[in-house]
Amino acid sequence: MYCELHARSAFSFLEGASIPEDLIAVCAEHGMPSMALLDRDGVYGSARFHLAGVKAGVKAHIGAEVTAEEANAEKGVSGWRYALLVKSRTGYQNLCRLITRMKLRSAKGKGSVRPQEVAELSEGLICLTGGEEGALAHALESGGISAAIKRVTELCELFGRRNVYVEVQRHFCRKEEARNAAAVEIARKLQLPLLATNGVRHARPEQRQILDVFTCLRHHRVLANAGRLLSRNGENRVKSPQEMLQLFRDLPEAIAHTQELSARLQFTLNDLGYKFPEYPVAKGQTQMSFLRERAHEGMLWRYGADDEKARQQLQRELALIEKLDLPGYFLIVWDIVRFCREKNILVQGRGSAANSAVCYALGITAVDPVKMDLLFERFLSDKRDDWPDIDLDLPSGDQRERAIQYVYERYGKLGAAMTANVITYRGKSAAREIGKVLSFDTETLARLSSLVGAWEYRDANDSLERQFRDAGFDLKQPRIRKFFELCQAVQDLPRHLGQHSGGMVICQGQLDSIVPVEPATMPGRVVVQWDKEDCADMKIVKVDLLGLGMMAVLEDSIEMIRRDYGEQVDLGKLPGDDEMVYQTLQKADTVGMFQIESRAQMSCLPRLHPTCFYDIVVQVAIIRPGPIVGKMVHPYLRRRQGKEKAECLHPSLEKVLARTLGVPLFQEQLLRIAMIAAGFSGSEAEELRRAFGFKRSVKRMKEVEEKLRAGMAKNGIHGETQDRIVQSITSFALYGFPESHAASFALIAYASAYLKCHYLAAFTAAMLNNQPMGFYSPATLVKDAHRHGQRFKPIDVMRSHWECLLEKLPEGFSVRLGLRYVKGLRAETGQEIARQRGIRQFTSIAELKRRVPGIQKSELTALAAVGALNFISAERSFHRRDALWQVERAARAAGPLLEGMDEAVAEAIAEPIEKPQQKIKLEENTPIKIEAESMAAPVGTVAVGNGASPLLQMTAEERLVADFLGTGMTVGPHPLAYHRAALRAAGVRSAVELPKLPDGMRVRVAGAVIARQRPGTAKGFVFLSLEDETGIANAIITPQLFEKDHTVVVHHPYLLLEGRLQNQENTTSVKVERIESLTVTQAETGSHDFH
Amino acid sequence: MGFAAIYVPEFMVQAVVRAESRAEPGLRERAIALIDGNAPPLFSVVAANARALATGIFLGMTKANAAQFVGVEIRARSVAAEKAAHAALRDVGWSVSPRMEETAADLVILDIAGLSSLLGPEETIAELLVARAGECGLRVNVAIAENISAAEIAARGFAGITLIAAGEEASRIGELPVTVLSPPEEIAETLALWGIKTCAALARLPVPQLSERLGQAGVQLRTLARGAASRALVVAETELVFEEEMELDDAVEELEPLSFVLGRLLDQLCARLTARALAASLLRVRFDLQPAFENALDVRTEVVRAKNMPGIYERVMQLPVPMRDAKLLLKLLRLRLQGSPPGAPIVKVLVAAEASRPRITQRGLFLPSFPDVEKLELTLARLAGVVGEGNVGSAEVVDTHRPGEFRMGKFLPVQEEAKDSPRKKAAKKRSSEIVEKHLPNHSAAMSFRVFRPPLPIHVNSREGRPAEVFVQGRRSEVCKASGPWRTSGEWWREEQWNEDEWDLEVRFVDKSRKAQTQSPCAGTFQTAKHLQQKGVPTNGAQTEKFEEEFRRYRIYFDAVRQGWFARGMYD
Repeated sequence: MYCELHARSAFSFLEGASIPEDLIAVCAEHGMPSMALLDRDGVYGSARFHLAGVKAGVKAHIGAEVTAEEANAEKGVSGWRYALLVKSRTGYQNLCRLITRMKLRSAKGKGSVRPQEVAELSEGLICLTGGEEGALAHALESGGISAAIKRVTELCELFGRRNVYVEVQRHFCRKEEARNAAAVEIARKLQLPLLATNGVRHARPEQRQILDVFTCLRHHRVLANAGRLLSRNGENRVKSPQEMLQLFRDLPEAIAHTQELSARLQFTLNDLGYKFPEYPVAKGQTQMSFLRERAHEGMLWRYGADDEKARQQLQRELALIEKLDLPGYFLIVWDIVRFCREKNILVQGRGSAANSAVCYALGITAVDPVKMDLLFERFLSDKRDDWPDIDLDLPSGDQRERAIQYVYERYGKLGAAMTANVITYRGKSAAREIGKVLSFDTETLARLSSLVGAWEYRDANDSLERQFRDAGFDLKQPRIRKFFELCQAVQDLPRHLGQHSGGMVICQGQLDSIVPVEPATMPGRVVVQWDKEDCADMKIVKVDLLGLGMMAVLEDSIEMIRRDYGEQVDLGKLPGDDEMVYQTLQKADTVGMFQIESRAQMSCLPRLHPTCFYDIVVQVAIIRPGPIVGKMVHPYLRRRQGKEKAECLHPSLEKVLARTLGVPLFQEQLLRIAMIAAGFSGSEAEELRRAFGFKRSVKRMKEVEEKLRAGMAKNGIHGETQDRIVQSITSFALYGFPESHAASFALIAYASAYLKCHYLAAFTAAMLNNQPMGFYSPATLVKDAHRHGQRFKPIDVMRSHWECLLEKLPEGFSVRLGLRYVKGLRAETGQEIARQRGIRQFTSIAELKRRVPGIQKSELTALAAVGALNFISAERSFHRRDALWQVERAARAAGPLLEGMDEAVAEAIAEPIEKPQQKIKLEENTPIKIEAESMAAPVGTVAVGNGASPLLQMTAEERLVADFLGTGMTVGPHPLAYHRAALRAAGVRSAVELPKLPDGMRVRVAGAVIARQRPGTAKGFVFLSLEDETGIANAIITPQLFEKDHTVVVHHPYLLLEGRLQNQENTTSVKVERIESLTVTQAETGSHDFH
Repeated sequence: MGFAAIYVPEFMVQAVVRAESRAEPGLRERAIALIDGNAPPLFSVVAANARALATGIFLGMTKANAAQFVGVEIRARSVAAEKAAHAALRDVGWSVSPRMEETAADLVILDIAGLSSLLGPEETIAELLVARAGECGLRVNVAIAENISAAEIAARGFAGITLIAAGEEASRIGELPVTVLSPPEEIAETLALWGIKTCAALARLPVPQLSERLGQAGVQLRTLARGAASRALVVAETELVFEEEMELDDAVEELEPLSFVLGRLLDQLCARLTARALAASLLRVRFDLQPAFENALDVRTEVVRAKNMPGIYERVMQLPVPMRDAKLLLKLLRLRLQGSPPGAPIVKVLVAAEASRPRITQRGLFLPSFPDVEKLELTLARLAGVVGEGNVGSAEVVDTHRPGEFRMGKFLPVQEEAKDSPRKKAAKKRSSEIVEKHLPNHSAAMSFRVFRPPLPIHVNSREGRPAEVFVQGRRSEVCKASGPWRTSGEWWREEQWNEDEWDLEVRFVDKSRKAQTQSPCAGTFQTAKHLQQKGVPTNGAQTEKFEEEFRRYRIYFDAVRQGWFARGMYD
């Protein structure tokens, strides 16, 4: 029986066209007992290949093609690779090390191994002479048969005579046949076994097209000019044993040897030999005893000495940790958390770890699982054979990097690495690259990629066909059709390897013997060749060090509160029942708060009416696609409001669902439902959970569903109840939250709400300093804070730092906007301005230019345009145009003659100018009042010396335009405030009025569109958030109306809407019946669209 | 006042309206957006009239989006219509004054000094210009002022007729937005930031400070804004257009009389080229052909109009070197016309030349003589006349897996290669090495004779291998077969291919027609006796009657055309 022992997958990055699962599937279809995957310079696809093999009953051999000599088209060097198969665990470790050594010294995608390294690490490896890019072909090409004999002899010396196979491939090519003749001759002469392979590059014949596309991308060509770089034919597919037997009927031994060799390859990835590192403890102690001590200390800190329930839970957990031999893991995570605490880095564990009292006691998590009665088995169970998962949230940016670098330092470069993130071809990238290869011009490509995936939701008319038609494409055209087909075929194929944002794997000893390690693009980091899922599948422990913008906000806020308010805030000790916080949440006044600020969250909050911490946990978890698709939101809210009886899906599930009023909301509940209703074991339930989060396979979920139904039928649950339970469970495929995770997030949400309610200035400044993050733009955050009474100070080079900071005024704190908000101002320039000002204040724009020589004219102009230079002169304040006038002069070298000439002198010699017709009013020394100006044009000013300009002062409208253009926001009045009287006359209500009006009333609202949403779960409805000077009004647009007024809704920044007011359960929105664009200002306000 | 500026607002839209207004009266009053782009998906709005802009259409909008605006007519931009509109605008200008400047496609300026005595006061001249433009289908603004710039700015800025008296320039122009001065982008941005919106505001800025800030460009702009700029009129010159045209009284049907006409035109053309010290690098001929005579009576207007439209025959001849030898050009042209004659009598002839500098070469004293480029071109043209265009030149190997693929490149004399730079030479050497590498080994004893086009054959297969081959009606048995050698490709095009190639040794067994008539290209010739000696079974009764002939072919099965073909034969 023939086995395919030389196949490449798409993980050879542009040199293979099928995913490993596809290769295995075709192999299984042909009844082939085993297959070997030899990707280029890596084992990227091996984990998936192995798993697919286990599932399909195909033995998955591991190997790799390792570059011996790099090809260089410019120098005419063809290059070659060792085709290596792994025989034993030593062989696998050697292969990983060999690749790691090569990768760590080379640029991405480059490099070759050195002969001495191969000699050193050849044990346990079997070498094939390879196909077109193999050792034999290269030697034959360059030096004929004698060189080939020499090369094969060298291979025998390196790997041992028994470990070298002379490979023959047949793809109906004359040149290859000549090579085969030479191979046969050499094999006979050197008495080496012949081995037939098919040099597989794609699983199925049609995937040859993708391979050709990839070849073009690799060589930066288009199909039309790729010529002989493309494949000669489609024969590099997986062929059936019968086909191969027929092909090699003249060399039966070459076929027979495949099975023999397969039998020799004993290694599989089950035999990986991974060990988690041990935590160093003092002599006389074990890791377990050390962990017990730390846990006990922590228990006293968290619970005090008398909490018997907590003590028992802790003992139970510790016993299990000991049984599973996991103390090292907990200690290592504890060690990272300890480091963060020492360095004042805010850290909080989330995910299922929050179910553990040990984690709580060790300070890893902040949620009390005993008090909240969380399910520990979700985190750790003796029935589960995988490792627990602890995710740590850290402030995004430098602080997180410090924690990551600590792990590297502690475990060595080859002891820790980031997990990879396999970037796959998705809508836009696929469209762009395939379009390129098919010779579409750049403009078409830009249009195409802008088409794909603009909206999350697609209705029946919103198909790709329609999008193509909208852009003027005709799918009947063969070229467009081909483009379309290829785009679809290439979806989800790996494109390149990135670095996961926070997943780290740690290993006892050398990680490079478990999986090859590569340098990441970011200096100082290394990354393994497997992604997060693969690492989990291979039972490698990972710790996620995730960056969370809100953590950075909290950290910055606390620091500002300490520095400016002189108060200490400890997030761990916030009062859990702060009335102000709950009142704010009940009013859905949550702009800027973590996880509960979105439009959907806001519409739910008044109905849920949170009164305790657990309500926030529910609130965080309920507005997720899982519960929404599972139709669980409304039943829960109705039951909560007492409008519906809290009935359970099935009497047996009462205990599980009691806390959530009979409605399943959390992952843990669903696992328990599966265990109770369908008789799933703990590990089966875990398998179910993995299937939910497993984006890769719809098929896998289908299988789980069948199993569920069978289990329920066995337990007497049939019909509608069964369907409802299945629907509840399967809908979590679209991301349901685990309760522990929701609880961790709820803590952060509560903290953000608390800080916003009590320290608005600090919280707002911190939010502004950590943008972009969250749901709203800085402009909306500023306006929201404004409405809560927060004062803001404009950007001023005489006062502003790079970041937004607080300024103490008699009436409270005001937020001084930082220079970072001046668009086009580079960070180094901004920081230099602040530094120079720290030394000595500036006295003029020219002086600023002189002292900050790196500043560019465009930067000075940007500063002047937003009014940041208005107060630079000690003698008088300018208006913005004065500053702009001065900037133009300061930015140009005047030359020696005019260098020192004063503006007034220059004026004196100027020709007399005609005075403007307007009445002149001088504005010297009058600071500009931003907040109390009308839109009417100011009276003119004219040059009268003293650094003033002949330019007119900006009107309020002009300032508004300049503010939005230059900073993306304004600290002045909202654009609509200028038009309120006219709007009122037109019957337009302000946002703040709406909640007071009766339900069903016909209303008109107007405002700046700050968010346009068309969520996938909303059946084509569009949700708009309109902001005016009083607040935010919500509007709902039906699919039909959206279809009709698509252009107005999408393109116009200000809208006037008319419709019926829906004012129910403290939630207000307008069901729109008529849409009109509104011309308010030329200012370009931004909107957060298409979520 | 001395100058009149005629400006066509919304020029691109007006050009299209002008071309279509006869077919669609009232079009001018509608909202119109023009689209343009390289291919259908890229069409976007490039121009629109005020009515269209008022509906919300903006420039750069996609055609699909623009189509959603109800009441807006979408039309394609027409460069030809714009050319015609500009020509009309010139005609309007020239109809009044011979001294005209073609400032832009949409604007011309006339020197009207001294015309008052001939045509009346300025107002009358302006009205005359507007009226004439109207007759030509253009709606224009006319401005008359003492200086050119003021007239130009006023024409761009004010609708209808504007008369600016001397000394009033600054105040009149002052009302206009500063954008009418077409400031450079950077200055425009600065002025916008400064809040300078009108020419008057710009004019008020003090010169030294303005100079310090915007340099001389700013000062110049200010002068324009004051209507004080003065410059000389750049009188439009005839372009370097070398075209000769002749309408024929009687339609010409044969080449000989046509040659006389062409000869005359070419003589004139070459004389003009010579006068300008130029030569033709490209020659274009265009014939208007007589409409076909129809016997059938069809009175429907559109049918009659379509039939009466003259046909156009056009040929472009790229010359290898710039030439101005009328005789040579005529010969080349004749050869070209012989190869592809126009299909109807000719009523109008136009010959146009693209001019460039003539070739100046000096041949080396000791270099071998090469054929003269002009003569060589003539020879190639003669050959092309015989074998057809595209069938003459140097065969070039194409980089593809497709067997036997080649293309005909331009035949280049060797001496051109001698001029190549060392880098170019090295590149050529490399490419020839690559080609060599992929060609069959020349040292092999066998050569390959290619059948072009491939020979259709019939093949009977056994167990997936050719067993019997019928070539040109002769049956042969396959003795040896090697293959298949499979190639396929260009799957993204409609002309994809998929072939299985075989190398065969076949044996023809024919009834004796005296074996001595051996085919000149036969490979091995063996008699039955030889075969008997080799142990090949033969039919005793026919032994002396049969002749055997062995040949080696390369055949292939074309999976796209579903047929067998012989690609060639091994000699």
